Amino acid sequence: MSFLKLFLFSALAAVPVALAQTDGVTVGPAGGATYAKYNVSQAWELGYRFASVGGDEGKYRSDVNYRNGLRLLGSSLAIRSLEGHGKWFDEIVMTTAGLGNDPYQSTTLRVQKNRLYRYDMLWRQNAYFNPGLVVSGGLHQEDLTHRWQDHDLTLLPQSAFRIHAGYGRTTLNGPALTTAQYFDSRSDIFPIFQNVRQQYNEYRLGFDASVRGFRLTVQRRWEFFREDSSASVITPEVGTVPTVLNGYQANGPYRGTAPGWMGNLNGELSWITVNARATYAGGTGSFSQNYMATGTDRFGSLQSQQIAVSGTGNRPVLTGDFNVTLFPSSRLSVINNTSVANTRMDGANSFTQFSPFSVFTTINFQFLGVRLFANATDVRYRASKKFDVFGGFRYADRLIRSTEEGAAAGSPLSGLSAEQSNHTTAGVAGINWLPVTGLRLHVEGEMGRNDNPFTPASLAKFHTIKARTQYRKKNTTLGAAYQENYNNNSIVITSYSSHARTYSADASWMAKSGLSFDASYSKLHLDSLGGIAFFAGAPRSSLVSNLNSVYASNIHALNLGVRIAARKADLFLGYSLTKDAGDGRAALATQTTAAGQVIYNVQTFPLLYQAPLVRVSVKISEKLRWNAGYQYYGYREDFGLLSQNQGYRANTGYTSLLWAF
Amino acid sequence: MRFIRVIACLVALPFVALPQTASPLKAAPPNQYIGNDQCGICHVEIAKDFFRNPHYKSIASGKEAPEKTGCEGCHGAGGNHLAAGGGQATIRAFSQMTPAQIIDTCLGCHSKDLSRANIRRSAHTEADVVCTNCHSVHHSTTPKFLLAKKQSELCYQCHAPIRAQFDMPVKHRVNEGVVQCTDCHNPHGNFAASWRTGTGSNLVTASHENEEPCLKCHADKRGPFVFEHASVRVEGCSGCHMPHGSTNAKLLKRPVVFTVCLECHNGAGTFGRENLGVFVQSASHNMLDPKYQRCTSCHVKIHGSNSDPRFLR
Repeated sequence: MSFLKLFLFSALAAVPVALAQTDGVTVGPAGGATYAKYNVSQAWELGYRFASVGGDEGKYRSDVNYRNGLRLLGSSLAIRSLEGHGKWFDEIVMTTAGLGNDPYQSTTLRVQKNRLYRYDMLWRQNAYFNPGLVVSGGLHQEDLTHRWQDHDLTLLPQSAFRIHAGYGRTTLNGPALTTAQYFDSRSDIFPIFQNVRQQYNEYRLGFDASVRGFRLTVQRRWEFFREDSSASVITPEVGTVPTVLNGYQANGPYRGTAPGWMGNLNGELSWITVNARATYAGGTGSFSQNYMATGTDRFGSLQSQQIAVSGTGNRPVLTGDFNVTLFPSSRLSVINNTSVANTRMDGANSFTQFSPFSVFTTINFQFLGVRLFANATDVRYRASKKFDVFGGFRYADRLIRSTEEGAAAGSPLSGLSAEQSNHTTAGVAGINWLPVTGLRLHVEGEMGRNDNPFTPASLAKFHTIKARTQYRKKNTTLGAAYQENYNNNSIVITSYSSHARTYSADASWMAKSGLSFDASYSKLHLDSLGGIAFFAGAPRSSLVSNLNSVYASNIHALNLGVRIAARKADLFLGYSLTKDAGDGRAALATQTTAAGQVIYNVQTFPLLYQAPLVRVSVKISEKLRWNAGYQYYGYREDFGLLSQNQGYRANTGYTSLLWAF
Repeated sequence: MRFIRVIACLVALPFVALPQTASPLKAAPPNQYIGNDQCGICHVEIAKDFFRNPHYKSIASGKEAPEKTGCEGCHGAGGNHLAAGGGQATIRAFSQMTPAQIIDTCLGCHSKDLSRANIRRSAHTEADVVCTNCHSVHHSTTPKFLLAKKQSELCYQCHAPIRAQFDMPVKHRVNEGVVQCTDCHNPHGNFAASWRTGTGSNLVTASHENEEPCLKCHADKRGPFVFEHASVRVEGCSGCHMPHGSTNAKLLKRPVVFTVCLECHNGAGTFGRENLGVFVQSASHNMLDPKYQRCTSCHVKIHGSNSDPRFLR
């Protein structure tokens, strides 16, 4: 009963809060109110959100997705025992954001009783919309709801022996479109309605025990994944004459399990730390699929086709890590880490296709094994309190084995088997330096080689340079950074290189008078070149292999924020900008070949995306504030990709009351 | 135990010859513990609200040793500080400590959690970014973890280009609050990755202990599949996607899907699972026809399929 009273009373307590919409604005007397040896503080922000969109609403929903409606924009509740000896609990902290149909909603909860238990909960929901225009011409539209929840319970949280239990759940549901090509590989692609239903559940149980500076952690997991998505065409879909898909139905229930173990031994002594871990995760997925299609093919013949597939896939993963850190002196540390990972993926299915005049069944088997050994040694020497230098060497040996087999039912399997190994070596070096009080400089570089990259775009001959400086004095912070990532994967026939450079600068200044200023600017440059080959031309396609895929991106990103806090009102002004200047071209030029034109048109993607913002918060009373905000989103593509242009303008905002009582 | 120590010292021998300096913490003068009540006489504001602080547990417990209780649990014995009437020279003041001293002090109690098992070798520690750079014990603004700022703002302080990526039109919803940096990263350090070559850092947290963090939310991409897209399993998701944000749909590395595919599927060299090059597309394709420019319109199960080796269904 007293517990109930406490909750009821919590509605009458005062509290300082910092909610998402008000960005640090506080209301009410600090410290909350005291009741029955508990301090209670809470706040609720209720408001109305509006959005008005012009242009491509699908792209707006994909990027931003705020809509109209009443929302509990944010809330917080904290109940804490004053002496740390509560009967059932010592702390309850709960926060919410966006409840009531915002596209982004979350709730966190922590309940704990000192020395006895600690419970943490996190719930989130994301309304995901994607028009799928560029990737599928709009035929892969998705309007899905993604939900996550996670629960963690720790018993005896302050003792040397702790018990952990947890549960996690992820679901993805909603309508979507998918596609299917019927009745051959030159035929039309038809949009298919899909009802997406996925569910993932995870259960965890474990303990950790500490003895004389060493801690042993053991955790057991049970994971279950299920998918019951289905897809169908109910009314006939007409393609290029005479192709018609009269009916289509696809069902493919999938059930996956992945039980796993993890053990970790960690020890910290004054001169050495040791960290060893072993994990194992099994993974099995069983499925049964049925596809039925009826219609007319591109030659005008009536067709009906049924495909039935069933089988199992497996992927057990075994990993081990051993890490030692030595402190031979107070100035020197030596760290060595060795890791091994063995992933075995295999699966088999039985594939049967029924057509009006034929039935055939194939049996397929595939195996992909990746065995990885990696070792890294890092040495750090502190020459003084203001200067230290570090260096290291990394080595990895990866063995990849592959088998792909298939045959008609009753025949012996035959196929391809292969094995390859590749070795990566890399050296790193860097410094940390404090030349004057408040000024910090960090520079590091890495250079490496991979002798047998797995794909043409994988790291081969690569280097990275990172430099960052930061100056901090009282209420002012200034920073600047540079990062360069370069990769060259050239071979005889074709080549691949990628060169990314990032420059950034940021500043933050907080004046005592209630004025603060934050700004950051980044330039993200990427240029890449890759040799490509493809077929083009009609009625018969021919191989085109004399072109390169070139991509250039020059993104200027700016983020500004000014906060002015007065006695009765607070104001926040913000602005964010993303501008890709592309490779500098003003328009698409005509190329000499049709194939060259296809590649040329997608070499760069200049666009402008900006979002100015203003928020105001007015103090009405000690416990009440009125808040309002407005944000404009503008998105413009300089020239559309694949004939798609998705620009939009959106005016969004909210008005709310923040009540802290 | 002695044998292990001898071996470890031999390994470190080339470095031991370097000059050694005693830790300032170890050199602290004899001092006496005075208890929290004494501290609260001068530090009124901190003491008044300290019951909200997670470290209050050490006081409420009543069973912790003085060196692990309340103010002196972190700041050390306060006898000299009290006698001198205050001053940073007579107490363990974090603003005056080196990064190494700060991390040693905090790990005195906080080394128990698995999430901090790799903190000694983390990229943050290597760059001298330690506990107090992100956590504010007395002036935290977050309901949990004593963070100095909202988590994303905290990370953006140093990672401005990452902020730029989360401001892009296509992004994971970090600024919107539904995704957090720590969903994918462990700022305290990570175990080696089991994907790619396992040598990079980026503080990426593995999901399910040993797989890419992306699979924690995108569970349908996890499989296992009968027909795995080999590059996804060997090189990882970032082979095709930008994990933070992008100007391209679906967080792709290129504005259109076919260049993502064709840059690998060019048939050249000894790449791919059979060392024969990653096979070129079928001759039945005509890239001048728009439907073939959207590869995933037909190859709908591009992350892995149970029924078709070409990922068609």
